[in-house]
Amino acid sequence: MNQHIQKIAELDRVIHEPGRLMIVALLFAVERSDFLYLQHETGMNKGTLSSHLSRLEEAGYVEVVKTYRGKIPQTLLSLTAKGREAFVEYRRKLKEAL
Amino acid sequence: MDQIESILQRPKLYNNVDGVGELGMAFMLLGFGLLSWLQARSPAGAIWHRMDVFVMWVGLMLLGIHYGSKAIKKHITYPRTGFVEYRNLKSTRLSALVLGCATALLTALGLYLAARTHWKIDGSHWGLTTPVALIGLVFVVFYVLHMVSAVRWKLAAAAAMAVCSVAIAVLPAGVVGAVAGSASAVATLDERSSGAWLLTIVLYGAILLISGAISFVLYLQHTQPPVRVAE
Repeated sequence: MNQHIQKIAELDRVIHEPGRLMIVALLFAVERSDFLYLQHETGMNKGTLSSHLSRLEEAGYVEVVKTYRGKIPQTLLSLTAKGREAFVEYRRKLKEAL
Repeated sequence: MDQIESILQRPKLYNNVDGVGELGMAFMLLGFGLLSWLQARSPAGAIWHRMDVFVMWVGLMLLGIHYGSKAIKKHITYPRTGFVEYRNLKSTRLSALVLGCATALLTALGLYLAARTHWKIDGSHWGLTTPVALIGLVFVVFYVLHMVSAVRWKLAAAAAMAVCSVAIAVLPAGVVGAVAGSASAVATLDERSSGAWLLTIVLYGAILLISGAISFVLYLQHTQPPVRVAE
């Protein structure tokens, strides 16, 4: 098999999904953000965004913290160290593959 | 890859999604402009020329901008389009510290040398107000790089600032010098350069104020605070 094609097969499938890629890229550039920011930036509905975040949380890439802003519930999200490493690696492999 | 890079830039642009970044800069420039105007219109012994008043003025201005921006973010931006906490990396802090120290040292050295030699920066040294225009145009380049890629109509604000800088550089010396008034009597710059500085910061401040206010109004029109249900 061609080496470039092999590289594509090695891409992290958790991150490679377009919706999750958007989330991880947005979180990579910040310390943390809330659910509303990700919803606004990605244009996803709450259900879809929650489902992607659950998948990323399961993989250990995203940390979810439920808190309050005054009396309003707020969900804060950040990339874990493992998530940051995985995204850096994903970009490296993608660059090699393209 | 380009699409990933553009997504990585989005949180930086989000900082001015409501125009608050520009409004803060506008208030800072107009604040300095107002103080310079007060200095220009008052005799050399007036309180506006005192260093303690200058420090207090700058301190109050920075506090106002800092807490004003924070209040807008907390009560308007975050409830509408979400909260973001930016990364505060050690390397970024260190480079900002080094850059700040180097700038402060060079400025202090320049002022010390100017005061020691009673040096006047005038037309014979610098070619009239060209340095002021160049500094303005450098600011315009940074503005274009940071703002225009995200919001196309900001190109009009950048063009207006560039036109102002060029216009100030070619205005008759008497007109620009008259703006400085007595401020140049206590400054290192000559009348024309002082006038050019004052005109530049006031006009740039006014343009940024208009641009930031338009962004803020558009932001309010196009966003609504969401109805809160369990996430």
